[in-house]
Amino acid sequence: MRGLRLVRRETPLAGGQLRAVLVGVMIALLIGVVLLVATGNNPFSTYLRMLDSAFGSPRAWSNTLTRAVPLGLAGLAVAVAGSMGLWNIGAEGQIIAGAIGAAWVARLLPDLSGPLLIPLMLLGAVLGGAVLALGPALARARLGVSEIITTLMLNEVAIRIVRYLVNGPWKDPEGNNFPIAPEIPDQAKLPGLFERANIGVLIAALVVGLFGWLVSRSAWGYELRIAGSSERTAEYVGISLRTKILTVLVMSGMFAGLAGGIELTGSASRLVEGVAGGWGFAGIIVAALALMRPSGVAAVAIAFGAVQIGGLAIQTQGVPAAISDILQALILFGALAAAVFGSYRLQRGEPTSATTPAIAEPGAAT
Amino acid sequence: MNDQTLIGLVIAIIEFGTLLYLAALGELVAEKAGVLNLGVEGMMAFGGMAAFWAGVETGNPWIALVVAAFAGTLLSGAHAVVSVVLGADQVVSGLALTILGLAMAAFLGKDLVSKPVGTQFRELDLGPLSDIPWLGETVFSMSALSWLALLLGAVTWFVFNRTSTGLALRAVGESAATADAAGLPVIRTRVIAVMIGGALAGMSGAYLTLLLAPGWSEGATAGRGWIAVALVIFGAWRPGRVLVGSLLFGGLIALEPRLQTFGVEISPILLSMLPYVLTISVLILLSIRSRNRPSAVPAAIGQTWRREER
Repeated sequence: MRGLRLVRRETPLAGGQLRAVLVGVMIALLIGVVLLVATGNNPFSTYLRMLDSAFGSPRAWSNTLTRAVPLGLAGLAVAVAGSMGLWNIGAEGQIIAGAIGAAWVARLLPDLSGPLLIPLMLLGAVLGGAVLALGPALARARLGVSEIITTLMLNEVAIRIVRYLVNGPWKDPEGNNFPIAPEIPDQAKLPGLFERANIGVLIAALVVGLFGWLVSRSAWGYELRIAGSSERTAEYVGISLRTKILTVLVMSGMFAGLAGGIELTGSASRLVEGVAGGWGFAGIIVAALALMRPSGVAAVAIAFGAVQIGGLAIQTQGVPAAISDILQALILFGALAAAVFGSYRLQRGEPTSATTPAIAEPGAAT
Repeated sequence: MNDQTLIGLVIAIIEFGTLLYLAALGELVAEKAGVLNLGVEGMMAFGGMAAFWAGVETGNPWIALVVAAFAGTLLSGAHAVVSVVLGADQVVSGLALTILGLAMAAFLGKDLVSKPVGTQFRELDLGPLSDIPWLGETVFSMSALSWLALLLGAVTWFVFNRTSTGLALRAVGESAATADAAGLPVIRTRVIAVMIGGALAGMSGAYLTLLLAPGWSEGATAGRGWIAVALVIFGAWRPGRVLVGSLLFGGLIALEPRLQTFGVEISPILLSMLPYVLTISVLILLSIRSRNRPSAVPAAIGQTWRREER
């Protein structure tokens, strides 16, 4: 690589993030072909099968949208924090905390009627996510402790709390000794929408839409982005950084918590250890591909929902479902690389000037 | 509690400690150069799968170890290229690396799940030393990999504190721009540091699948990679303290299945939260303390660096 270096383009390439994501998708699909061929699978029939099972029928759409719900809400959680330059790596744990919160409400009030119980369960979910995010939020706002590591560590704590619950106090006595909690009462399940989708899809769409609008259009969102781009400017115009950090991180936890609540009342029906399904981590990729813009999160979430549903469908052909995780990660790597080449180009030769200050990204320091 | 249970506990502490120390040492090197790599869990899984595969194919644990180190290095290359050379965000890139590594290990390791173990690391017999009561059965019977981990820790300490290479690496991690002005190759140093981290995480995976829990299954790493990330913070970015932390956290893991034997009535699941809770506590303490003292955190960690024309 000697002599090759990145030089900023005078004008960034047209197309921006959409082009970068498309390049990422192409790179991912190409590497996917290599992996599929190497493991003795037909890549084209595999991809076609994935596409068909994700978009080929109303039932396929209902599966894809159902899967897009936790991805979109987790993506929103990461994006809202990200628009202020903060990292919520804890969405996975907050989804679990949300599911626990919702399950708790159902345990306390099992005889309540559905129209009362479901909203209360979702409230419990939102609070559960908020509780798990509160510690990192306070530590960051008060002491300046990096939220990256604290939220990350709390994922592992949340996994163990749910493991403890379903193996101990909340274990289903009629569950054949499996580590599962009892099923939630029938009236606690979200009403259906079409095929396999439930109204969780509408709730998520509403929340993502509303907060997408708030962040990108409202004065509050504008302050957020100012605070994210320059602490000094924020202080100068009288924005309280501490309050902003606190509200944004707790709010972020609430979105992820809601995802856990919808998952429990809509799909899982009972608390299990894998209730978060890796969607919290996938949500980080979703938000990154959407450039931390809540408005872009929905589209990416549906695309990733499709990739995951496709991955599940090809399992019956003997292709491991892990291919969908591989594709997601590769799409991100491809898009990150492509985005860099959108505003930089490779140039041969020696640099003309020696130094510039390091690009410090807000909130990135540990 | 008899001697045998206690010796069993000490052996388990050494084994889990080795697993954690190898991975944490790698993360330490990367972070000292200013690169946070949240991909440890993925590199460990990928390396572990690769080591098990190589063990089945060749029957030689040392070849398997090299294959694992290579696999970890290869995977870490993705993080190095995307976050260091191209300058994308380290957090996103590292997390994507964990997802990629776990998924690649699951995908390529699908047919390995039911395979019998091809080879295993054995205890190292040190002759007369191994006959010493107590120590002989524990420290002087540990595998060569544990000795290797200790050696690598010592080398890391020496390089960091006594050589110009180590000084250069730390400078790059403290301030990339200053290091660059001093003529140090920032990008190259960081890429190499990330790859050393990948190699060590891969070796840690090999230790897992060839000694600690011989075999391969999806989810074999069980969150130990995250503990390695935590350990670097817990150990305040120092090889010696990270070793102490590895033994402590390794001890907590070793205690989990033994709590009942020792008559403690706490759920082992709750005990398994401690490493993460302790790390959060240490982070908070560090931040309170560092208000009037120089910080232990490499200053440029997490920051992308690009040399640009003005």
